Amino acid sequence: MVGINKIALLGLLAVAACDTYGPDKSVDRGINAHHVSTLVAGIWVDPDGCDHWIIDDGVEGYLSERSTPDGRPVCSGVAAPTTAVGPFKEGSPIPDIL
Amino acid sequence: MHAAVRALALTAMGVVAMTAPAIAQDPRIVNSEQYIPGIWIDPDGCEHWAMDDGTEGFMSPRRTRDGRPVCHRSEICGVMQADQLFATDRYNINAEGRAALESFFRSANAFGFLIYGHTDSRASDEYNITLSDNRAYAVAEVAEAVGVRVVDIRGFGERQPIATNDTAAGMQQNRRVEIYCLR
Repeated sequence: MVGINKIALLGLLAVAACDTYGPDKSVDRGINAHHVSTLVAGIWVDPDGCDHWIIDDGVEGYLSERSTPDGRPVCSGVAAPTTAVGPFKEGSPIPDIL
Repeated sequence: MHAAVRALALTAMGVVAMTAPAIAQDPRIVNSEQYIPGIWIDPDGCEHWAMDDGTEGFMSPRRTRDGRPVCHRSEICGVMQADQLFATDRYNINAEGRAALESFFRSANAFGFLIYGHTDSRASDEYNITLSDNRAYAVAEVAEAVGVRVVDIRGFGERQPIATNDTAAGMQQNRRVEIYCLR
């Protein structure tokens, strides 16, 4: 039943946000449209203890490295390995059910 | 006659324009679809390439060719002039400098600190790496004594000057300890 709901929701979202947008990928054109520069991030700590920016933007998810000024990973100890902290789900009103 | 020549010339140009890219095309470069990214700036002030392809999102850090992140750090949280903390060629911090550092670390309101030492270009590169490393560690010891978290400590010697080493004033600017705040 949960599986069927997920499929139905994915279908709906696919209609709402189908992949025919052209080359400019800098804008989220679906529900809750906005430019990618407005994304709100948290920190995900990888199994090695190093920080990544994590963003759950509703349908899209983003992950990118946090770096020191000379390009090495930042391993700040802000949270335990394999956990995420911060407001990374707050940029989107779409519930995190998928 | 004149028009015909022009038409011929245009046709020739058209042919050239159409075939030239094909000739110049590196056969290892395959046909591609254009993906123009936006830029997302993280809370540290560094840029990331971000692309939203409808239902997928993609992101990767923007870097210089030598691997450094491209950042707009509004300000390095603190820059300490080395001359105010250390005697020439030494890395023990004087009492006044220690007090200034303690007050800085207590009031910076940061989760953690990155501490980087730098020197001017006098003496050898190797000597300066060691000196700046020792100075960065000395500053980090003050931070840890105050009870704040130090995330990264490193000496870059004379390799990252912020001013010319041709003048005394420039060299003085280059002798420094930079402190980045993680919030």
